[in-house]
Amino acid sequence: MIEYIWLVPLLPLIGFLLIAFNFKRFQGSVSGIIASSAIFVSFIISLIVFIEIYSSKQTATVQLFHWIKFNKIDISFSFLIDQLSTLMLMIITGVGFLIHVYSIGYMKGDSGFNRFFSYMNLFVFFMLLLVLGSNYLIMFIGWEGVGLCSYLLIGFWFKKHENNNAAKKAFIMNRIGDLGFLLGIFMLYYYFGTLNFNGIFFQAHMFTIGNPTITIITLLLFVGAIGKSAQIPLFTWLPDAMAGPTPVSALIHAATMVTAGIYMIARSNVLFVLSPITLLIIAIVGITTALLAGGIAIFQTDIKKVLAYSTVSQLGFMFLALGVGAFTGAMFHLTTHAFFKALLFLAAGSVIHALNGEQDIRKMGGLKNKIPITFFTFLIGTIAISGIPPFSGFFSKDMILIGAFEANSIFWIIAVIVSLMTTFYMFRLLYIVFWKRSNKEDLHAHESPKNMTIPLMILAVLSVLAGAFGIPLVFGGNDIIGNFLSPIFTESTNIIKINAHEISHNTELLLMFIPVIFVFVVVYLAYYVYVKQKKLPEADNQKRPFFSNIFFKKLYFDEIYNALFVKPALWLSDFLHNIIELKVIDRMVNQAGNLVVWTGKTIRYIQTGNVGFYLFAMVISIILILIFKLFI
Amino acid sequence: MNAIIALSALAILTMFFGVIQKKSVLLPLILSGLIIVFFLNVIEWGTFKHYYNEMFIADNFNIAFTAALILTTFLVFIFSALYYRTVKRPLEDIYALMLFSLIGGITMASFGNITMLFIGIETLSISFYILAGSKKFDVASNEAALKYFLTGTFATGFLLFGMALIYGVSGSFNLQAINSYIIANKESIPTLFYAGMILVFVGMAFKIAAVPFHFWAPDVYTGSPTLITAFMSTIGKVASIAAFYRLISITFLNVHDFSVDILMLFAIATIIVGNLSAMTQDNMKRMLAYSGISNSGYLLFAIIAMGPKSAGTLLYFSISYAIATITAFAVIMLVREERGTFSLQDYKGLAKQNPVEAFAMAVAMMSLAGIPPLAGFMAKYNIFSVAMNGGYVWLVIVGVIGSMISVFYYFKPIIYMYFHRADAHKKIETTKAYKIHILLVSILLIILGFLPGLVIGLL
Repeated sequence: MIEYIWLVPLLPLIGFLLIAFNFKRFQGSVSGIIASSAIFVSFIISLIVFIEIYSSKQTATVQLFHWIKFNKIDISFSFLIDQLSTLMLMIITGVGFLIHVYSIGYMKGDSGFNRFFSYMNLFVFFMLLLVLGSNYLIMFIGWEGVGLCSYLLIGFWFKKHENNNAAKKAFIMNRIGDLGFLLGIFMLYYYFGTLNFNGIFFQAHMFTIGNPTITIITLLLFVGAIGKSAQIPLFTWLPDAMAGPTPVSALIHAATMVTAGIYMIARSNVLFVLSPITLLIIAIVGITTALLAGGIAIFQTDIKKVLAYSTVSQLGFMFLALGVGAFTGAMFHLTTHAFFKALLFLAAGSVIHALNGEQDIRKMGGLKNKIPITFFTFLIGTIAISGIPPFSGFFSKDMILIGAFEANSIFWIIAVIVSLMTTFYMFRLLYIVFWKRSNKEDLHAHESPKNMTIPLMILAVLSVLAGAFGIPLVFGGNDIIGNFLSPIFTESTNIIKINAHEISHNTELLLMFIPVIFVFVVVYLAYYVYVKQKKLPEADNQKRPFFSNIFFKKLYFDEIYNALFVKPALWLSDFLHNIIELKVIDRMVNQAGNLVVWTGKTIRYIQTGNVGFYLFAMVISIILILIFKLFI
Repeated sequence: MNAIIALSALAILTMFFGVIQKKSVLLPLILSGLIIVFFLNVIEWGTFKHYYNEMFIADNFNIAFTAALILTTFLVFIFSALYYRTVKRPLEDIYALMLFSLIGGITMASFGNITMLFIGIETLSISFYILAGSKKFDVASNEAALKYFLTGTFATGFLLFGMALIYGVSGSFNLQAINSYIIANKESIPTLFYAGMILVFVGMAFKIAAVPFHFWAPDVYTGSPTLITAFMSTIGKVASIAAFYRLISITFLNVHDFSVDILMLFAIATIIVGNLSAMTQDNMKRMLAYSGISNSGYLLFAIIAMGPKSAGTLLYFSISYAIATITAFAVIMLVREERGTFSLQDYKGLAKQNPVEAFAMAVAMMSLAGIPPLAGFMAKYNIFSVAMNGGYVWLVIVGVIGSMISVFYYFKPIIYMYFHRADAHKKIETTKAYKIHILLVSILLIILGFLPGLVIGLL
């Protein structure tokens, strides 16, 4: 089946074309069904390929065609099928399919229904290209493509001006990161002479650890990852991206696209381990982002914004894992996070759907009994993300925490704090939205249709069970995911492990259970504050305590960026337009044009129409050529 | 050789059917005849035959260019039905002359002896002189014929004089023999030989309408009947450039250092003057005449660089130029017939009223301007890359600048057709066959743009 891997990205592309060309013709849910079935078939093929790779432990490169062949450059359009890419395939097509089915219900009746599904299929196509590409260029195509689709879907309801601004913000922020990625690719080509993963990683052994070239390359690649995966300082676009429809937030801004940065670094792990400085920077950026975003999430009042900051925070967690060399942990957390964060977003969508578009949590409450399926699945998602055993989040977080402890105990302490913050804001959200408060009249809410609740239930099951793939050795598990991914990471982990100290099983158990005890404390704390005392977040215009205000205002990142970058950029653009463009360049171009036109008009006069003159001109020319060539 | 024999028979048959007034048979006869000739020509591929003491050489270069010439003629004949639809008489003389000039063109692509080159050029040119004046009662047509004849014979004189000088020094008209003479006497070739070469080059430059021997072209092309202009500006150009390439690649390659700067002078002057003059034209026919001149400049690149891909690129460029030019002329004929002039103003709003014709015109113009992915782009790209590989960077820079200027005038009709509102013009009624033909030809331009390697790889 591996040789048919090209079908996997092709089907969503066909789905996109089919819907895009019948934009006006498709009625009802036709386009939704087409889009979902395209992804479903892709999923089946991916599943078969995944099983093949899993059982054979082989990797394969599927060459489709030579794409760019010019001089010494030879870039082929080919796919790399290995453990890492098939794992991503499973997430993208699997979660993607569920979200597509959910969207049929969620987007029902929207005037842009067909447009929505064409974009979604296009997105899946690019995302698959991103993870399947066997060289950095194909990856970059996918990288740009998902950026484009993200832009289109954030601004999906383009009639509202702020949505367009959010879309533009996401696009521009991503461009900054993309520039870094692109420069990194250029440097890779310059120093390695190829862009193929296999070729580059093979040659990477020739570089010593700490080689400055590799450090610069990896830093540039990391800049790309920062943009795409919303890390400090380029994270502010992700919360704004919640302007898009909720399934978009679930698919693009939680489960798949934003994890592209993680995937890219995990893919390039051979390069990154050669640069300890880059790894340290990644870890620091990751943990800082996780901490700040977690703090901000606690004080948000929009259900999707809370989840958005939670995503930023969790992504920071994954970067911490990458930074400390726990690549398997990062990929594992990426997987479980894809399940439970997609679940949380979809459940939040179901809440919003039930309340006819209300997103402010202060206007919610007591939904526990009215929309029981949504509540129950949301609860599972919350438990999973909080890291309560034996739900999936516990195992993946644990893997990262152990990795962090092995590298540096300060990382571990901060990571535990972040993890507790996660528990707090998630349970805060849960209690405020679903528990009843007496001072509130009953809200009218209705449970979502089946095609929305079934994906929720499937994702809930996955959120519970996915942890089973990573049960650590201490529990008698056999670390399935670690073994599965080991062909890709072993070499790099060995390099990292030279400096790290091995920890005993007892310490490991201790490290595991200290956070869990605190988690229960925090769950109770949230219960005490939001259920017992029925505390509600203050209204927007009310004065808040200093500390809370700073976090509520998102640490003023947007304001600072406005003053530091946006305003000067606007001023510069203004200057370039009014002075340089209009007064200098335009004038030069116009003068050049005028000169050409004038010459053209003048040169016409030699075409007199007089044969005598023509013959004379010919003779003169011949004589001049003869003199010029033969006598001078 | 098959092709020439069969074509002569076809031309005589054409005249015969004209004499017995069978008008309806003529065009089908010619078109099917051309298809047969095409296959007769192609089956000789790879045989490398010599005829009559190397007077005529049937190598792959000859066969490829003969095929291109037959294809071009075929396309012109397809549109002749439209052009002559109001004429009652059989027109066998015009058709036969066109076929005879095709024979001249084929001879120019396959000579092995410069006397044969001369015969080919004269067969082509004399037919052209008459064809240019074939609109008997039109002053412009008469003027065109006379101007062409006067300047043409003048140029032929120089060509013949140059050949005589070459013969005088080397003692042979045979291309290989002259080449052997050059190799044997590399250090001591007398000046007279070089003078002969220059005069022959001047003659050839006149035939491809290279500056400064281009003066005849705008006047003749504008004055001649439009169908004949389409025919002359494609067949004449392709045959002459093939002859020029053959002459230099077989005979004068060992004195190429001497020829290069003359040719470069021709190429650069042609591109600059051709493009600049075309820019200010409001008359579509005249604009295309200058476009033809400037394209000669690009074609010269392949001859200057003389790389391994020169011949193939020349073939590809010729075909894409010929098809685009014929497409454009086919629309021009139509518009002129309905709206009376060749002025750009007549094209206002054509896209609304005649979308198919406007599309074909737009494709032709964009191909000539070199917009990807059309054939014209690949042709220019390849010819520039041939020049680049030969190390002629400056030539390429001039070529690119010229190409940029050309976008200005090639896009004018597109702007008029698509972005101007029609004043008082009505929709032009055309036959379905014409629509299909013109659409097919423009699609050919698009398809050709995807297969440059196939054509270039032939030679």
